[in-house]
Amino acid sequence: MRPYEYIRAKSSSEAISAATAARKPHYLGGGTNLIDLMKEDVERPDTLIEVSRLPMKEVTRNATGGLTLGATLSNTDTANHPDVRKDYPLLTMTMLSAATEQIRNMATNGGNLLQRTRCPYFYETSMPCNKREPGSGCGAKEGMNALHAIFGYSDACVAVNPSDMCVALAALGATVVVMTPGGDSRRIPFTDFHRLPGDEPQRDTTLEPGELITAIELDAPRFADHYYYLKIRERSSYAFALISVAAGLDIRNGTIAAAGLAMGAVAHKPWKLTEAEDFLVGKAATQTVFEEAADLALRDARPLEENEYKVEMGKKAIVRALLQATERNA
Amino acid sequence: MKDLDQWVGKTEDQLNEDERKIFNDLGLHGESRRKFIGKLSAASLSIWIASNTGLNALIPKGEEMPEQLKALLNELKVELSINDKPYTLHLDSRTTLLDALREKLGLTGSKKGCGHGQCGACTVIIDGKRQLSCLTLAASCDDREIVTVEGLAKGDQLHPVQEAFLKYDGFQCGYCTSGQICSSVALLEEAKRGEASYVTEDFTELKQNIELSEEEIRERMSGNICRCGAYNNIVMAIQEAQTGQDQGQKWSFATVEEVREAGNA
Amino acid sequence: MKEPQHVIGQAINRVEGKLKVTGRAKYASEFPVEGIVYAQGLNSTIAKGEIISIDASEAEQQPGVLKVITHQNALELATPEEELLKLGTKAIAPVLQTPRVHWYGEYVGVVVAETFEQAQHAARLVKFEYRKDDHRTEYRSAGEGEKFKPEGRSDFNWGDIEDGMSGADQRVDVTYRTPVEHHHPMELHAVIAQWNGDKLQVYMPAQMINDATIGISETFKIPKENVRVICPFLGGGFGSKLQAQEHVMLGAMCAKMVGKPVQLTVTRQQMFTNVGLRQENIQRMRLGADADGKLTALGHETLSHTATNKEYQEPCGAASAMLYNVPNLKVTHRIVPVNLPYPWAMRAPGEATGSFALECAIDELAWKLKMDPVEFRILNDTQTDLSVDKPFSSRLLTECLRIGAKKFGWADRPLQPRSRTEGNWLVGYGVSAASRKAPLQKSAARIRLKRDGDTLDATVQTDATDIGTGTYTILAQTAADYLGIPVDRVAVELGDSNFPVSAGSGGSWGAASFTNGVRAACLNVKDTLKTLAGYAAAEGDTLATLMKKAELTEHEAEGSAAPTEEFRKYSIYSFGANFSEVWVDKDTGMCRVQRILNVGSAGTILNPKTAYSQVLGGLVMGLGMTFMEQSKVEKNHGNFITRSLADYHVPVNLDLADVKVIFLPEEDRIANPMGVKGIGELGICGVAGSLANAVFNATGKRMRDLPITPEKLLMTQVERDLALLD
Repeated sequence: MRPYEYIRAKSSSEAISAATAARKPHYLGGGTNLIDLMKEDVERPDTLIEVSRLPMKEVTRNATGGLTLGATLSNTDTANHPDVRKDYPLLTMTMLSAATEQIRNMATNGGNLLQRTRCPYFYETSMPCNKREPGSGCGAKEGMNALHAIFGYSDACVAVNPSDMCVALAALGATVVVMTPGGDSRRIPFTDFHRLPGDEPQRDTTLEPGELITAIELDAPRFADHYYYLKIRERSSYAFALISVAAGLDIRNGTIAAAGLAMGAVAHKPWKLTEAEDFLVGKAATQTVFEEAADLALRDARPLEENEYKVEMGKKAIVRALLQATERNA
Repeated sequence: MKDLDQWVGKTEDQLNEDERKIFNDLGLHGESRRKFIGKLSAASLSIWIASNTGLNALIPKGEEMPEQLKALLNELKVELSINDKPYTLHLDSRTTLLDALREKLGLTGSKKGCGHGQCGACTVIIDGKRQLSCLTLAASCDDREIVTVEGLAKGDQLHPVQEAFLKYDGFQCGYCTSGQICSSVALLEEAKRGEASYVTEDFTELKQNIELSEEEIRERMSGNICRCGAYNNIVMAIQEAQTGQDQGQKWSFATVEEVREAGNA
Repeated sequence: MKEPQHVIGQAINRVEGKLKVTGRAKYASEFPVEGIVYAQGLNSTIAKGEIISIDASEAEQQPGVLKVITHQNALELATPEEELLKLGTKAIAPVLQTPRVHWYGEYVGVVVAETFEQAQHAARLVKFEYRKDDHRTEYRSAGEGEKFKPEGRSDFNWGDIEDGMSGADQRVDVTYRTPVEHHHPMELHAVIAQWNGDKLQVYMPAQMINDATIGISETFKIPKENVRVICPFLGGGFGSKLQAQEHVMLGAMCAKMVGKPVQLTVTRQQMFTNVGLRQENIQRMRLGADADGKLTALGHETLSHTATNKEYQEPCGAASAMLYNVPNLKVTHRIVPVNLPYPWAMRAPGEATGSFALECAIDELAWKLKMDPVEFRILNDTQTDLSVDKPFSSRLLTECLRIGAKKFGWADRPLQPRSRTEGNWLVGYGVSAASRKAPLQKSAARIRLKRDGDTLDATVQTDATDIGTGTYTILAQTAADYLGIPVDRVAVELGDSNFPVSAGSGGSWGAASFTNGVRAACLNVKDTLKTLAGYAAAEGDTLATLMKKAELTEHEAEGSAAPTEEFRKYSIYSFGANFSEVWVDKDTGMCRVQRILNVGSAGTILNPKTAYSQVLGGLVMGLGMTFMEQSKVEKNHGNFITRSLADYHVPVNLDLADVKVIFLPEEDRIANPMGVKGIGELGICGVAGSLANAVFNATGKRMRDLPITPEKLLMTQVERDLALLD
């Protein structure tokens, strides 16, 4: 790791002013991704501002009737919070599919939103990567891209977002609340929080310099009866997804009243399947309908040389996740 | 390099090009640069500047380094509580908890299997929760309660989980064992608190003191890799530690008659 | 003589277990050495070429940095005379001797600093400029002239393979691929090196202590007596710690050049590039059988890669030449040098990967013959090792298969694939045979006795190692029985080159060689005591009585075991059978092993608890090999794109399921006096075959390219001939 100054912030505003003053600051939450990347010499902050102890560890009921998740609460404590488990079991299931108990105990909610890609070209500093070193090229586009995007990529970057939690948040609907350097609160709809790579793949999110995530507001509770998070991976646990699907359904008398559907590991951001969601509403919860929704969802996929399988796997995963969601509590 | 009093209190734009270069080379910018300069006495600063092409060269070996210089080597004072014992350490701010335990305190029970959060060998219990010490900066552990494998036995009396690992041969080479055991000890508490896992049947059903199924144990222990492959023995050890029930054994011997019969069939 | 068996054969707990569960067992990097400094190796970032300039100035200016060493200022070490260094457990390991780069990740330098953090950081700041040559990592398209038979590998040829194939009623001609795999023991390779004048002391994880001292002394061109290697514990090896590799030399070089004790730990990422690997193998299998199911032909041609400066090939075809009774056979091994890190022995080298190809091909042929694959194997069993034309000392393969089939419930298995489901799962069953050579190597030990009244305490000393295999425990059991004292009065000291030279841990010879060596030492203790007690000695005297009669409170003797003439007349192997049940998710392609039954015939089982663990460990690694382990080579840059344990998946706890092991009561006194045969490598043999065959039974898909990942299963078609039995 490069040398840095370590600052233990005692308040959000203290953290933000330290970040504003430094040349290459980085907030430190659980550190599960950041410290790894610093050891790899990918992240090179000159100032590390500890925010993990800031008092943003509550789960509270918000105005919409949904829950607001504190940014520094751990993934474990969030997933296991009684209100989260009862109102948003899809979020609980999704969060518990990620990493391991040890890592979830460390990882914060804010930090989870800022997880960086697992693309090996990003990690390996001797290889080209526009995300790590803008202008150096994308090694994966013409290289090894079996684990890469099938949606929304650019010539500059074909990496995918690795978060599980974010896939559920995309399906459930949420708002990210940040504190700006001016001390104001800014609210970012979840679908606008992560960005597509375009020609600035170094920017994963729409956060501005110095902004600090303080909370995640969930939309009003949905899908507590019919939900499933399907995660296809190369071993049964402790592995990132090849494809994942978060599915939530509100089924009334066999008819779908509302649907939440998002995919992971297919794009630079959690991939919300809005068109498929809309298609499902008003239809019967049957395999045929789910297959049509899956076709719709993958219609615009543009696989790379090595990840053709993701189109087929993605369709099967969507159908399967919807079926499992339907069967739960049926 | 003689009298460098002039530097103390200098603002960013008062630095000349050479000075700025020296600071930049050392990665000191903006607020941190001001802070560092402010912290220094002129004497230590002069040593530092004189030796910025080989800082340690000017520090006589075996002598205590001035505190201010330590700061320049990213030193931080950290108060750790490990296995109920307080430790005060002056550490490079980059030191992970794992390296502090192993290299500074001689507590080598916690193992480094990867250093990147991908194996679980470094698992320790911090404030009651199992965590990875390789991705935890020691600096962030100020005032936290840390339990390592060395802190589980009470004198000669092994922790029940340690006893069970012995009985069921829950290890071979022993290198992942400390992490497996810390993980198992924390796991039993998680079960008491009623925490769920990915394989939990119904997330909306809240209950405490869960008796963990084999699959639940396996999923919850999947953060601890054992390359020797002692997983099944680890599961049995945890089952006995949780239930007090003997789990039997998974090997048997064929009889001489069975062998004869099979050979003649 | 009658061999005692009191505590031998008992499932006692590991005698060193308490140290391990309390975290007090000391591994190489953990020894407290005063004034220690830290080194970090640097790796090339091209796959082929030459270093043309190095800028270490920024690194050298960092606080705490003591030295940056590259080929420009490295100590001169021994270098090989031949272009391709033949790898072996005693091989030299020169490092930083040339500006040339042979693979991506080869050591090109090392940084020494006062703290670990300083060394890590400074290592990032050394800048290398290269002249880059076109590299080559692809070898499958190699022309005949580029392939060659490596030294020490046998080709086998008898009868006429072409005749055997053309005369067959059913045949298969298929190619299997196994990828590059890495050993990845949990303990990172590490070294603490300390010079005292011209004497070097090294703490390092070494499977074979004596060979490590040879490798080090010959690399530094110093007498072997000047090198002491200490390794009481090592955190797994699986072959990667068989010999002293480059990092050991780097650590010792640093220590010499900075004049301080140096700790150097190999990073997990470096364990992909600098400590050996299991090479990728392309295996063409040709099998033919007559309508009755008798094999008429067996061809096993293996093509693999080696490094451009070091040579090794695992013998994939070895088991094919001895496992079945076949009149026409051709087994070949060929390699091609490419710009990849050097291959090296990994758990059951050759047999683990070769048995995948062989046991799958056997299953494919049985399926074509509409024969039960268990019966097909039994029909082609042999009591003669045709590859060397010697009888087996003991071969209970048929017994393993029959007993396993019965206990597993094999008779209930549907022959037709895709015919059993469980919810969303397709259920399948597979079987394989397993074999692994059971060698005995020269192995010595020393016994020290201390008498206090009638109580005797014994200490066993040998440079043998416990790599997790249970050496401490089985040697305590052995000494206890042969000395006639309780096992808790035996202390075992291992892993120090000051102790008598053992066979070292590797090649499945450890348990047999070590225990027979200890046995010999115990017998010598008794003989020498009898002599010392003179006329007073009486038949049936305990050792304590003999010592009393000889008026001794202390006594020691050494002994050693080695293969006999009788041993050389036979082919000596352990045998086994694997039965498995695998569930494959019909949509996601994710596989879950439900149960495995392993039946093993490996002579005297010294301790069923540790023996079970050994087999279990082999099965887990075999499961990893089948479903997830692979190191992928980046096609443009030539490095491993899988570069961490997050990319290179090894099995986790949830991947496992019920594993039962049945040991056969086998007495093989030809193998050695105690009848001990290895079991640690037997456990991985055939596993991938059994599991892949179960996947076929579940899905109707022949997965000939490991690992069997969800994406591959999804993109593979059901076999065309599947309607055969409909």
